Amino acid sequence: MLPLSLLRTAVNHPMLVELKNGETYNGHLVNCDNWMNINLREVICTSREGDKFWKMPECYIRGSTIKYLRIPDEIIDMVKEEAQRPRGDGRGRGRGGRGGGRGEICLNSSLYNSHSE
Amino acid sequence: MASELEGYINHTVTVFTCEGRIIVGTMKGFDQTINLILEDSHERVYSTTGVEQVTLGLYIVRGDNVALVGEVDEEVDKKIDFTEIHVEPMGAVVH
Amino acid sequence: MSQPSKDLGSGSQAKPKKESILDLSKYIDRAIRVKFTGGREVSGVLKGFDPLVNLVLDGCIEYVRDPDDNFKLTDDERQLGLVVCRGTSVVLICPHDGMESIANPFIQSAD
Repeated sequence: MLPLSLLRTAVNHPMLVELKNGETYNGHLVNCDNWMNINLREVICTSREGDKFWKMPECYIRGSTIKYLRIPDEIIDMVKEEAQRPRGDGRGRGRGGRGGGRGEICLNSSLYNSHSE
Repeated sequence: MASELEGYINHTVTVFTCEGRIIVGTMKGFDQTINLILEDSHERVYSTTGVEQVTLGLYIVRGDNVALVGEVDEEVDKKIDFTEIHVEPMGAVVH
Repeated sequence: MSQPSKDLGSGSQAKPKKESILDLSKYIDRAIRVKFTGGREVSGVLKGFDPLVNLVLDGCIEYVRDPDDNFKLTDDERQLGLVVCRGTSVVLICPHDGMESIANPFIQSAD
């Protein structure tokens, strides 16, 4: 199971997000993308020291600034359907079963010059 | 992409984060950037006054923040008497 | 015409690009609060943006931080005027209206 699949499954559920700057954000996940960027709604922000609190109707958080996400336990049981996103075998998505290694990029680019697929 | 982490799936792992926290949980998934899914996780807060275990539940740890992932031998782990452990907490990773 | 070499280079996630999950157009001409890596925080009226989340903020105010702690805000503000914010350093964006300081909302059994 991919972490981002779990996160996508958690849309519309409450969660706690801790950022690298130490702030935590409690809110409902509105949506997320492949970079773990997220939109939250009905958010409560807690300062790094845990002594100050802000509420905000919504916020956008850049994925690269996230440290952890705490997600309701039951979400993991809902994720099963899209456990693995469809993808190739990880290498060699070259057309017509060709491709993969670096050398073949050259081969393909010469093909590309000689005819279009 | 055969990662060494594949063998840890559904096993108890211990994760050392870059800030020096130690999280123990069942690894349910990971990706290329070492983002991890930890189920039934808890944090082990080591200190000179004893070890505190804090329940965390279902966690996604961002790969940026992972310093170490280790498989836990549950038999050995069960035998640890945490009341006898008094240690300084770990420091953060220095970048 | 397809371009196999490019396709290979872009890796296995050659999915159709979805539009960004961040719709900044709804904030145009509205005040937003922006937090940056390193701890800086500003607010200003959003005048423009691009897909990399570079922002143009008008009437921008910086919330001055504690000189000894980059992540601790003081009550001071300083006027920056019209600024361009670099998208790569943006951590968080939220509407300025509706953001307010509150008392501890988490129920605590003990003091």
